[in-house]
Amino acid sequence: MDRAAWPLREPLIAGDKTPGQVTIDVSRPLEGKATPLWWAAFLVSLVTLGVGIAAVTYQIRVGIGTWGLNRTIGWSFDITNFVFWVGIGHAGTLISAILFLLRQKWRTSVNRAAEAMTLFAVMCAGIFPIIHMGRPWLAFWVLPYPNFRGPLWVNFRSPLLWDVFAISTYFIISAIFWYVGLIPDLATLRDRFKTGVQQRLYSFFSLGWNGSLSVWNRYETVYLILAAALATPLVLSVHSIVSFDFATSVVPGWHTTVFPPYFVAGAIFSGMSMVVTLMIIARKTMRLEDYLTHRHFDIMTKLILATSWMVAIAYATEFFIALYSGNEYERFAFLNRAMGPMAWSYWIMVSCNILVPQIFWFRRFRRTLPVVFVATIFINIGMWFERFVIITTSLHRDFLPSSWASYAPTKIELATFAGSFGLFFTCFLLFCRFLPVIAMAEIKGVLGSHLRPQTVPIVDEVALEATAARSATAELEEVAIPGPGAVSLDLSPEETST
Amino acid sequence: MSDKRYWKSLEELDARAEQAESAERVSPLEEPIGRRGFLLASGFTLASGVLGGCSRSPVEKAIPYLDQPDGIVPGRAAWYATTCGGCTARCGVLAKSRDGRPIKLEGNPDHGFSAGGLCAVGQASLVELYDSQRLGAPRLQGREATWDEVDREVRHSIEGVVTSGGRVRLLSDTVTSLTEQRWIRRFLGQFPDGRHVVYDPLSSSAILDAHLATHGHRLLPRYKLDRAEVIVSFGADFLGTWISPVELTAAYRRGRDLEGESPHLSYHAQLEGRMSLTGSNADSRVVVDPGDVGPVLSQLVGKVADRAGAELAGFGAVSASAVEEGVLDDLADRLWRARGQALVVSGSESVREQVLVNYLNELVGAYGATLDVERPSYQRQGDDRRLAGLVKEIQDGDVDLLLIRGVNPVYDMPTPELAEALEAVPTVISFSGSLDETSTRADVVCPEPHFLEAWGDSEAVAGVVSITQPVIRPLGRTRALAASLSAWLGEPASALDLIQDCWRDEVFPRAAIGAFQTFWDRTVHDGSARVTAIPTEVGPFDRSMVRSLSGGAEPDNYTLELYPKVGMLDGRHAHNPWLQELPDPVTKVVWDNYACLSPRTAKHLDVGQNDVVLLELPDGAALELPVYVQPGQHDRVVAVALGYGRAGTDRFGTVAPKWLEGKPTVVPGATVGTNAASLASLEGRRRRYVRSGLRVTPTGATYDLATTQIYHYLSVPEKLAPADGKDRPIIQETILPEFLEDRSAGKPHMHHFDSDLWGEHEFETHHWAMAVDLSACTGCSACIVSCQAENNVPVVGKDEVKRRREMHWIRIDRYYRGDEHSPDTVHQPMMCHHCDNAPCETVCPVTATLHSSEGLNMQVYNRCVGTRYCANNCPFKVRRFNWFNYAHDDKLQNLALNPDVVVRERGVMEKCSFCVQRIQEAKHTATSQGREVADGDIQTACQQSCPAQAIVFGDLKDPESRISKMRQDPRHYLVLEELNLRPSVGYMRLVRNRPTPASTPLAEGEEGSHHG
Repeated sequence: MDRAAWPLREPLIAGDKTPGQVTIDVSRPLEGKATPLWWAAFLVSLVTLGVGIAAVTYQIRVGIGTWGLNRTIGWSFDITNFVFWVGIGHAGTLISAILFLLRQKWRTSVNRAAEAMTLFAVMCAGIFPIIHMGRPWLAFWVLPYPNFRGPLWVNFRSPLLWDVFAISTYFIISAIFWYVGLIPDLATLRDRFKTGVQQRLYSFFSLGWNGSLSVWNRYETVYLILAAALATPLVLSVHSIVSFDFATSVVPGWHTTVFPPYFVAGAIFSGMSMVVTLMIIARKTMRLEDYLTHRHFDIMTKLILATSWMVAIAYATEFFIALYSGNEYERFAFLNRAMGPMAWSYWIMVSCNILVPQIFWFRRFRRTLPVVFVATIFINIGMWFERFVIITTSLHRDFLPSSWASYAPTKIELATFAGSFGLFFTCFLLFCRFLPVIAMAEIKGVLGSHLRPQTVPIVDEVALEATAARSATAELEEVAIPGPGAVSLDLSPEETST
Repeated sequence: MSDKRYWKSLEELDARAEQAESAERVSPLEEPIGRRGFLLASGFTLASGVLGGCSRSPVEKAIPYLDQPDGIVPGRAAWYATTCGGCTARCGVLAKSRDGRPIKLEGNPDHGFSAGGLCAVGQASLVELYDSQRLGAPRLQGREATWDEVDREVRHSIEGVVTSGGRVRLLSDTVTSLTEQRWIRRFLGQFPDGRHVVYDPLSSSAILDAHLATHGHRLLPRYKLDRAEVIVSFGADFLGTWISPVELTAAYRRGRDLEGESPHLSYHAQLEGRMSLTGSNADSRVVVDPGDVGPVLSQLVGKVADRAGAELAGFGAVSASAVEEGVLDDLADRLWRARGQALVVSGSESVREQVLVNYLNELVGAYGATLDVERPSYQRQGDDRRLAGLVKEIQDGDVDLLLIRGVNPVYDMPTPELAEALEAVPTVISFSGSLDETSTRADVVCPEPHFLEAWGDSEAVAGVVSITQPVIRPLGRTRALAASLSAWLGEPASALDLIQDCWRDEVFPRAAIGAFQTFWDRTVHDGSARVTAIPTEVGPFDRSMVRSLSGGAEPDNYTLELYPKVGMLDGRHAHNPWLQELPDPVTKVVWDNYACLSPRTAKHLDVGQNDVVLLELPDGAALELPVYVQPGQHDRVVAVALGYGRAGTDRFGTVAPKWLEGKPTVVPGATVGTNAASLASLEGRRRRYVRSGLRVTPTGATYDLATTQIYHYLSVPEKLAPADGKDRPIIQETILPEFLEDRSAGKPHMHHFDSDLWGEHEFETHHWAMAVDLSACTGCSACIVSCQAENNVPVVGKDEVKRRREMHWIRIDRYYRGDEHSPDTVHQPMMCHHCDNAPCETVCPVTATLHSSEGLNMQVYNRCVGTRYCANNCPFKVRRFNWFNYAHDDKLQNLALNPDVVVRERGVMEKCSFCVQRIQEAKHTATSQGREVADGDIQTACQQSCPAQAIVFGDLKDPESRISKMRQDPRHYLVLEELNLRPSVGYMRLVRNRPTPASTPLAEGEEGSHHG
C-alpha cells in the first residue's frame, strides 16, 4: 500500500519520518551547542539545587529542629516530599513495563524521558528518608549488614525497613531498565560522534553493540524479562509498600486498608501528570512536535482522567468507611480533614485531583496543550497536598486532645523542598543534553505502524554509513531495525482494528 | 630463660613448626613493596584513618580517690535527711548525694508534717544550688570583699548606731529557725531601738490578725484537712501555693480515700474569682468576685448561725448576694451537718473577712477538731502593719541600719520610691545569696549559703523540729545568718555550734529523751523530731469583732486579683529554669505571666489569647499584659500572676537552641514576664493583692504566650463532632452516690476483645506497671519537676515550647468539661504507658525501641537514628525528640545531672523509662541482701514526689502487690483500651463528691483560631 494512503489511524509519529531522519532529529540537541534556553534553565535548576544543599547542610549541622515539626507531628514536609517524589517516579516504569507488555506503541515516544524522570524522582525521594532522620550519619543502620553490634539487627517488622528495600530495589531495576533500553541508542550516538570524550563514553556504555540480529535477539529477551519479571511487579509493589508506612500504624487517618491500591493509583496519576508536563516542555524546546503528537497527549490525559477517578473513589471510600465504622477517632480524623483548621489543604487536594482532571472528558481540552500543561501542574500540586493531608492532618489531632498541635514549615523545609526540584531538573536537563530523550531504536519500530502491517524497507543511511566506517567487512544489506515495539508489529490489535 | 623448648607430643611439634612458618609468612611489608603489599598497607592506613576519625568525643579518665573517704562508695548514692528551703513551709526532704554532690531532692516520709511528698518548688530548688550567678563571696560597697573586711565594716557601723541610739531594723521573711530567732533577738537586743519586721510577700497576716482579735493570740492555726468532712474554701489555694501546700495536699488526700472497704470522700467547695489549682479540684466550685466575698461570708455566717441558734445582729439583713440562690443554704446545711468535722478556710487579706471565717469555724466546731490553735503553724508570721510602718520609716529616713534577709522588697513592694529611700539609709546589709533588685542597693551583702550546703534548723509547726544539714561543701565563701550575727556580736562561731547550743538550751528540754547527743544524732538522721510544743495561750472565742460586711464589688469595673503561681510563688525562684519551664497547672503557660480574663469578658473586650491589654488602677498604677482566656473565671475578675519580671532573667534569653528561626526566650535587657507588684498596694497598712476599680483596655498589640496544651476539652470541636459526639472516654469519672452503689460506675460502654492475633508477652520475673488515681491527683505538677531532675530532662526555652517541643517525660493533661463559664476540670498525668503491644516498637526500623523481659518499653538512645515514626505511632504522644543539642554548657549546672541517666544527644527519641535506673538499683540491692524485690522497694521519681500519693508503681507478677490489687479494682481503667495496646499504666476513675452528675457537655467553639 502506498505510504501516503489515508491512514487507518492517526500516525504515532508525524511528518513521515524515515529512520534516518529520526536519528538526526533526536541526536540534534546532543550534537550542537546548548541553547540559551537550556543554559538559563540549567542555571536556575543549579541555583535551586544549591539552595537545597545549603538548607540540608544547615539542617544536618544544627539539627532537625530547624524543621517545623513538633512532639505531635513527627513527619510533615519530609515524608510528604518523599511520597510525592516516589509517586512521580511511578510513571516511568508504568510506561516502560506495563504499557510495553500491553503493547501500547505510543509509549515509545515518551518512555525514555519517563524512565529518566523516574530515576531522578526516586533519587529525590530517596534523599528525604535519609535527611529526615535525627542522626542521618547513621542512616546505614537501616541496612541489614553483618556487624559486631551483638544481636542488634534491623527490625523486619518496620514498614520503614520495607521502604528501604522497596525503594532501593525500585531504583536499581529502573536504572537497569533505563540503561538497557539506552544501549542501541548509545551505539547510534557512538557512531555519530567521531571523537571526543562523549564518543568514548558512548562507546564504553554501548557495550560493543553492533546491531547484529543475535545482539538484537538477546537484547529483546533481556528487555522483556526486565519488563515482565521485574519492573511490572515493582510498579504495584513500591507504592503499596510506601503506603504501609501509614496503613500499618494506629494513627486514625493512616490506619486504612484501602491505602495500597489508593496509593498506586495516585502515584500513576501524579507520575503521568509529571510526564505530560515535562513532555510538553521538551516538545516545545527541543522541537519534537513530530514525535510527541497530540495523539500522545490525548492518550495520556485519558489515563490521567481514569486514575483521577480511582483516586476519587479512594477518597470517597475512606470517608465512607470512617463514618460507617463507628470509630469516633476515625470519624473525627476525616471530619477534621475536611472541616478542621487544615481544611484548606484538603480542599486544594480535592479540587486539584478530582475537579481539574474532569476537563479531560473533552477531546478539545485533551489536545490543547496549554490547557493540558496547566491542568497537569495543578494535579501535581493536588497530589502533593494529598500526601500532606494524609500525613499532617492525621497527625495533628489524634487521640488525646491535650497533644493536638499545628504545623507550619520553616524556611529550611521550603528550601529543601525547592532543592529537590533543583536536583530533579538539574539531572533532567543534563539528561536532555547528553542522552537521547526519545528512544530512537524504538521509534523506528513504530514508524508507519499506523499503516497496514508490512515489511518496510528501511535503510538507516546514517547508521549504516557509520557502521561501514567502523567495519571494513560490513556488508551493505537491507537491515530491518526492529525496535522493541517491532515484536508486535503483526499482532497489535490497535493496528488491525479499524 | 633458655631457648631450649621441649615438645610433649608430635602434634605440638607440628604446631610449633606451623607457627614458625606462619610467622614468616606474615609481614609482607618487610618484602619490597609489591602490588599486594601496597594495597594491604594503603587499605590499612585508610581504614585506621577512617576509624580514628570516627570517635565522637575524647575519652576522659576518672581518677579514683587516693584515700577513700568514709562512707562514700563511688557510684553509690548517699541520702541525707534535711529540710527544704524552697519556701517557708519547711518540708522534710531527703537529699540524694552522688560522689559528693546532691543530685535529687525527695520528700522525707518520716517527716513530722510533709509526709513524703515534695512540691515542684522544693524539687527544683536543687538546681539553684548550682546557679552560677549565686554570690561566691561577700560584697562591700559593690565589690567583692573578705569576711574580715565585711565584719570590720559592719561592726564599725553597729558601734556607730549603738552609740547614736539610732534605729535598727531587720526585715526578713518568716523565720522558722530557732537558732536564727535566738540570734536575731540577741543581735537586736544590743540596740536601744532594734526591731524585727517579718514580711511575707505571700502574706497570711490577716489570718494571724484575725486570731488576735478572736483568740487573743496572733497565730496561724494548723489546718487539719484530713479530719474535715466538709471543706469550704474562700479563695485559699491550699493545694497550690497557700501556706504549706505539700502538707495540706497530703492531708486533703487522706480525707479523700476511695480504696479499701469504706471509701470516704470529703466535700470540698471552693468559692473563688479566678481558676486556682485548688478550685479546679473542688467538688463544687462557685465563682465569686473577691470583692463580694465579704457579703457572701456574712450571709453564710448568718445562715449557719441560724442553724446553730446563735443570736447575731445584722447578719440576716445582708442581701443582694453575688452567689446563686440556694448555694449558700446548701453550704450552710453541709457545714452544720458536719459540725466538728467541717472547716472553712480563706485566703483573704481582709482581717474582717478572716474574723468572719474564724466565727464560722467556731460555729461549726472546727477549733480543736479541724483547726489546731494550740499547736499552731509558724510557717507564715508576716505582719503587714509593721511592714507598712517600716516602709514609712525608711521613706522618712528614720532607719539607720537596715538588715534584709530572704526578701526582695525593691522587687515586690508596690512602692517604687522604696528603692531610692533605701539608698538614703546609712547602712543596708543584705543576706541575699545573689545580686537581686534589693541586694544590689545594699552597702554590704553577706551571702547566705544554699540550704543544701549549710546547717540550719526549723520549727515550722509547733512541736515539729527539723534539721537542715549540708550535703555538699559550700561552693562559695558564704556564711549563715546566725553565724554572721554572732560574729558581729563578737562571739564568732560556726553555724553548727550555734544550732547545737540553741538546741541544747531550747529544744532538748522539750524532748523526752535521755542524752542530748542521742537526741541530736537521731534528729539529724531522721531529719525531724517531735517535741513538746510551747503552749500557746488561747483565750475563749471573742465575738466582739464579728461584724457583718456589706458593700461588695462595683459592677462597672473589674477586680484585679494578683495571685502566686505554682512554681514561681513570690518570685524568689525566678532564676530557676526548671520552674520557669514548668507549665502552670491550670493554664499550661510557661515562661510568662499574663492577664487571665473570662471567656465572656474577652469576648466583650473583643480580645483573644495573646492580645495585649492595658490594666489601669484608680491610683495610677498600670501594666500591659497579654491576655489568657481562662474558662471558669469570674467575668469581672482579671487575674495576674506575681513572681515574674525579676531583674536579670534575661539570662534565659539563650536557654533555647540558637538557629535561623529560633527566637530568644527573652530579649536582652528584658525580663521573663512582667512584674505585677506595682499593681498591689500597701494602703490601710495591709498588703493587698485584690484591687477594685480596674480598667482594662485593649492596646491592639500582641504578644505570644507559650503553652504546652492548646486544646482544652475532651470533646472535639462541635462542628467536627459526629452526630453522637460525646466526650472522649480518656477521662472517666463518676459521682460519689453512684460509686458507692457500683464501684465500676462511670465505665463507658465498650466493645471487648476476646481474641488477639499476637500471643501474650511472657514475663518471667517481673511485669512493672503503674496506676494513677485521678481522684487523688490534684495536678500540682511536682512529678514533672521530679522527673526532670531524675532523668536529666533538658530545659528548651519559650520558643521551643511554643513550637510544641517541650521535653518533659511526664505531663499533666488538663481538660475542661461542660460549660466554659463554670467548667469541671480534670488533671491527668500522662507518661509512657509501656504498652505490651507497643505501637512504637513495631515501627522502628533499627529496633531502637523494644520490650524488656520485665514489660518495660525501652528506648536505646545509642541505636536510635531518629525517624520519629515511633512518636507518630504513639497514641499517647509521650515520646520526646531531641530536636537540637540542648544546652548543657553550664558546667556548674551540669553537676545536678543524674549520672545514672544518659544525657541524650540530638536526633534521638526519649521518653519515660519507668525510672529504669531505680528499678535496677532496687533489684541489685535486693540481690545483695539475698531476697526478692519487695512491693514498695521501687518508687519512681514521679511517684515519690507526689504529695497526694496518686501514683502507684509495682510488679504485676506479684499478686499481693498494691498495683496488682489496683488493677483488679473496678475503678481501674485503661486509656484507649479499644486499641488493645495493653498499656502498663492505668488510671483510677475520678469520683466527685456531688449529688448529681455534672451538667451535660458542652458548648464550645472551634479552637482553630489558636492554631495559627
